[in-house]
Amino acid sequence: MVFEKVKELIAVELGIEEETVTLESDLSDDLGADSLDAIELIMAIEEEFEVEISDSEAQKIKRVNDIVSFLENV
Amino acid sequence: MKIKELIINGKTAKFPIIQGGMGIRISLGKLAKACMNSGIVATISAAQIGFLRKGFKDNPMKENLIALSEEISNIRENNPDGILGVNLMHAMNNYQEFAEFLSKQDIDFIISGAGLPVDLPEYIKNTKVKGAFIVSSARAARLLLKSWDRRHHFMPEFIVCEGPLAGGHLGFTKDDFDSGNVEDLESIVRTTKEIIKPFEEKYNKQIPIIAAGGINDGHDIASILKSGADGVQMATRFIASDECDASDEYKDMIIKSKEEDIVRVESPAGLPGRAIRNYLTNILETKRIKPKYCVNCLKTCNKSNIPYCITEQLGNSSNGDNKGLIFTGAKAYLITKIESVDEIVKRLIAECKIDLSFN
Repeated sequence: MVFEKVKELIAVELGIEEETVTLESDLSDDLGADSLDAIELIMAIEEEFEVEISDSEAQKIKRVNDIVSFLENV
Repeated sequence: MKIKELIINGKTAKFPIIQGGMGIRISLGKLAKACMNSGIVATISAAQIGFLRKGFKDNPMKENLIALSEEISNIRENNPDGILGVNLMHAMNNYQEFAEFLSKQDIDFIISGAGLPVDLPEYIKNTKVKGAFIVSSARAARLLLKSWDRRHHFMPEFIVCEGPLAGGHLGFTKDDFDSGNVEDLESIVRTTKEIIKPFEEKYNKQIPIIAAGGINDGHDIASILKSGADGVQMATRFIASDECDASDEYKDMIIKSKEEDIVRVESPAGLPGRAIRNYLTNILETKRIKPKYCVNCLKTCNKSNIPYCITEQLGNSSNGDNKGLIFTGAKAYLITKIESVDEIVKRLIAECKIDLSFN
């Protein structure tokens, strides 16, 4: 399942517990990701899912759900 | 150890010093020409460069682009061969439009800080203009290199590592400063030198590492060159020059400042800035200043509860009003007089040479 994998990646990249990551979590406000974390996370997702997330797509990503729906729609 | 030249865009600057971009309207054509004539690299700042033009408040983008192109043509009339760059903050709204416009101008590089310019290569890739970025950690440098490599197969012409003693907007948060979680410049330079190696090998290209923030005299230059930097970027030192485009009032604030006058202020850009204590910073300790207008300048500005408007306050100070925001580096208090750029550069080099040959 996409969400499970994304959750795991986020937890690893941000160094947080998987349980704190929900679909509704805001990457910055709730999970504490700064701009560097965000880029690192996007690149990790690109590697893991073998997709390319354009800069304009990346800028739209605010919540975990934005990542999951992007991945489900590619 | 000897002072090496600095090569950017196939051109050679005699000394590895980049005059850093300062906005609003602090580093423009007059300073740029003097710097290039003295053998160093010049940078003008794109930040609201059209501020003094009629019509700026109605159509800031149009006026900014006209002002940029006029400034660049004016510089190139006198100095077609010097190394000239434009500092374009990544936090600016219309970043893409600015970068695409600049990619067609007669400049050598666009340098972006105030954010992570992951998209810069897209706008300059097939042009004569090179790209560079300013970072405050090796981690940010690595992420940008990785992203530029993967998406654009493109490398920066050089990287500026900016430490905590810089002026204007800083690359560390208030919490970083309060908790002491700030890496010193020497360490940022050393770690960044390490992380660029695989990219230099892959592209068979040297990426000069330029140290910035708190470099005030030739001894500072020698010391950071010995730590591995390939050059330095200096900005505040050049405010106190005859040729700097800042107002006389602004220059006066720099040379009269004392160590205790140099403070950090919040900025709508998101990260703190460093400025000289004055009417504005005193007011900001207890209240906010409601903006008089908005030209929609920054992506990062939330507009509703900002402490003050950065364009309004930097614009005011560029216009000779010392109640506005007076951005400065941490070592401005060491500067006591206004000299010509040539005198400043000559002394920097002389001091640096002595240190490099005796230690």
